[in-house]
Amino acid sequence: MFVRMIAKAFLRQWKKMLLIAFTIALGSSLATAMLSVMMDVGDKINQELKAYGANIKVVPKDTSVLNELYDVGGENITGAYLKEDELGKIKTIFWAFNIVDYTPFITAEASLDNGDKVDVTGTWFNHHMDLPTGEALDAGVASLRSWWEIKDGDWIDEQAEDSSSLAMVGAALAEKEKISVGDTIHVTGSQGENDLKVAGIFDAGGEEDDLIYVTVDTAQALGGLDGKIDSIEVLALTTPDNELAEKAAKDPGSLSVSQYETWYCTAYVSSICYQIEEVITDSVASAVRQVADSEGQILEKTQLLMILITILSMIGAALGICNLVTASVMERSQEIGLMKAIGAHNRSITGLILTEIMCTAVIGGVLGFFAGMGFAQIVGHSVFNSAISMRPMVIPVVAVLVAIVTLIGCIPAIRMLLNLRPTEVLHGR
Amino acid sequence: MKKRKMYFRMITASLLRRRSRMVIALLAISIGAMILSGLLTIYYDVPRQMRAQFRNYGANMIFTATGDSIIPEDVDKAAALIPSDKLVGMAPYRYDTVRINDRPVMAAATDMKGAEKTSPFWKVDGDWPAQSGEIMVGKNVAETYNLKPGKRVTCTFAPEKEEEKGPAAEAGENQGGTDQAAEATTEEEVVLDNYIDFTVTGILDTGGKEENYVYMNLQDMEELTGKETVYDICELSVSANAKELETIADQITESVDGINARLVKRVTQSETTVLTKLQALVLLVTVIVLALTMICVATTMTAVVAERRKEIGLRKALGASNKSIIAEFMGEGLVLGAVGGLLGSILGFVFAQVVSMNVFNSSITLMPWLVPLTVIASVLVTGLACLIPIRSAVDVDPALVLKGE
Repeated sequence: MFVRMIAKAFLRQWKKMLLIAFTIALGSSLATAMLSVMMDVGDKINQELKAYGANIKVVPKDTSVLNELYDVGGENITGAYLKEDELGKIKTIFWAFNIVDYTPFITAEASLDNGDKVDVTGTWFNHHMDLPTGEALDAGVASLRSWWEIKDGDWIDEQAEDSSSLAMVGAALAEKEKISVGDTIHVTGSQGENDLKVAGIFDAGGEEDDLIYVTVDTAQALGGLDGKIDSIEVLALTTPDNELAEKAAKDPGSLSVSQYETWYCTAYVSSICYQIEEVITDSVASAVRQVADSEGQILEKTQLLMILITILSMIGAALGICNLVTASVMERSQEIGLMKAIGAHNRSITGLILTEIMCTAVIGGVLGFFAGMGFAQIVGHSVFNSAISMRPMVIPVVAVLVAIVTLIGCIPAIRMLLNLRPTEVLHGR
Repeated sequence: MKKRKMYFRMITASLLRRRSRMVIALLAISIGAMILSGLLTIYYDVPRQMRAQFRNYGANMIFTATGDSIIPEDVDKAAALIPSDKLVGMAPYRYDTVRINDRPVMAAATDMKGAEKTSPFWKVDGDWPAQSGEIMVGKNVAETYNLKPGKRVTCTFAPEKEEEKGPAAEAGENQGGTDQAAEATTEEEVVLDNYIDFTVTGILDTGGKEENYVYMNLQDMEELTGKETVYDICELSVSANAKELETIADQITESVDGINARLVKRVTQSETTVLTKLQALVLLVTVIVLALTMICVATTMTAVVAERRKEIGLRKALGASNKSIIAEFMGEGLVLGAVGGLLGSILGFVFAQVVSMNVFNSSITLMPWLVPLTVIASVLVTGLACLIPIRSAVDVDPALVLKGE
């Protein structure tokens, strides 16, 4: 009988039920979309902040203290270098997955034909690596220096056959020496010389505008620095620092065992630095504060902003559903009055109405959930050009929210109607 | 005249008598209006607020000298060209080589208050130097000389001719290509070394080249070198978008002779990229949330009106024309819409303010035009939402409705 009554109610009042289901679907799609976007926005903004370039710099231990202080301009004399063959190890540390990009630098002093001294820096442009994990990574300055404006020509393609005789010249130097794309420049280093074809001219808006960039091998040959690297710049996705991270950054030894584990297994910039130092011999890895610090702050603000907007829209959705359910229950006063008049218990009336509304809520909620996933993907693709990853956590949160909100919408209205006298209601008040 | 009076009376009486239903409708409308005005306020204010956050990346404009060095008057002149509400901070720098324990160290002199603003990411272990006689040392320098906050250190400066081209040139290179410091050091011919006893107030940790320098106040540098203050470089942090920045830079380079203003590409370019994305995100979210809430409001209004079919039937039976029924219902809807919209725009502003205080620690700018916009939008939505159910109700035969279908 119960089932039959409910089925009948759905059939006869399908218009009203459709309205309720529609509103619940809207609310739940709103909640789903906002929750998924909110939970994923951190990762997405983190990716965008890659535009600011490397947040970790690795230098040899000796130079980090002494080189720039005492042997000014005489980097070739100190003899402190990192080893090129260790570069691959950076992708083997605990947080290897968070290392998005990195590139080595090696600078050799050289002179042009007219006697002008220039610094020739060897680096990766789009270095292709096949990692032991089976992944492939394209790393280099082409992505780490996204703010470089290529004025003429193009980036060096390392996969090209002649890449070792190509060079990219800074805009300031190119203007001074009247170099243009396609020219061949002859550079003489301390240990070798080379004819370089200019592949591109870039404007970096900084000190790099006075440099010539070539591949690592070319720069090493010029300076006789086989297998040596000056510095490495690493771009890692990190978690904003907290107290623990700050304490650890000063001295990892001061932590207790469990603290150490927490720190080591969290992607703080300091723990990633520490892990890089573990794999690269005699190196000092330090956070580039300008990037690392600011990143954390912007990330935090964006997340907080999204959380608050999400809360607002959830409140909106909740009140919207609540309102409609209350309104639709209240208009059934006559029906309830009639049921009471023919002897229905309060409990069975409540049960009947609740079941009806909850059935509608489930249908609406499920439909809304899928619609919400669609909305989230629209946001992801149109703003970040990538899909928003769906967290399973969204499902229970939305389900509980819809259930609670619907109940809150029903119960006060039902109770109010139950208190009415059937005769009055039936009489039309 | 009497007719209009009656009309108002009917509307107000209907609103007052059916209190519980009207509260529901009003609540729905004000929530919609609140979300509309709150989200729009946030959307318009986010770029401004976020831009302030992006200033944490440090200076986005630098002045370099066109000649040997920048004179302070030129900096003042140039700074006057930047709107004062956009200028976050300005720090002129002067570099020279000093000696600590007879070993050369690059010293930078600057306005500490300005440097604190242009380089908010500098982490100082201890305090910033506040008065003359205080010095802040880079982390690497501190390690080399074993310095800690509170310790004393003597800096000497030898004004005689000596080969100091190297470090100065390096400093010039680091900071944008000036090497006047080296030429300046060779000018004076005093045999005695100048020296000042400094107290170390803080250790500077930046992860960059700044860790190899010591930082002192401009007066101390003047005293130490015995030369009047001129700047090698000036860092500015300006809160403006890339286009505005370019205009400002061009204007300064053109109108102030001694200064060449340049943008720090890395900071400006990346800021534009990230900020555009952020704004697009908030816009899209706003649009989706708004569309959904408006539909929500509409469905609630539909439900509220639909239950009044009986009333409509009775009126028709009493001889009311369809037109007058629609006019009355619409009048009710409009009153509700206007009140709800007004209420909602106030609530929305409060919400935006709460968000702004929590996220950015600064209050939001009030946009008065949002109030009429919100009211109009909610009146429209309510009107549309009422119209659909009323029209279908009006077409019904009164006898059928009164009988109970």
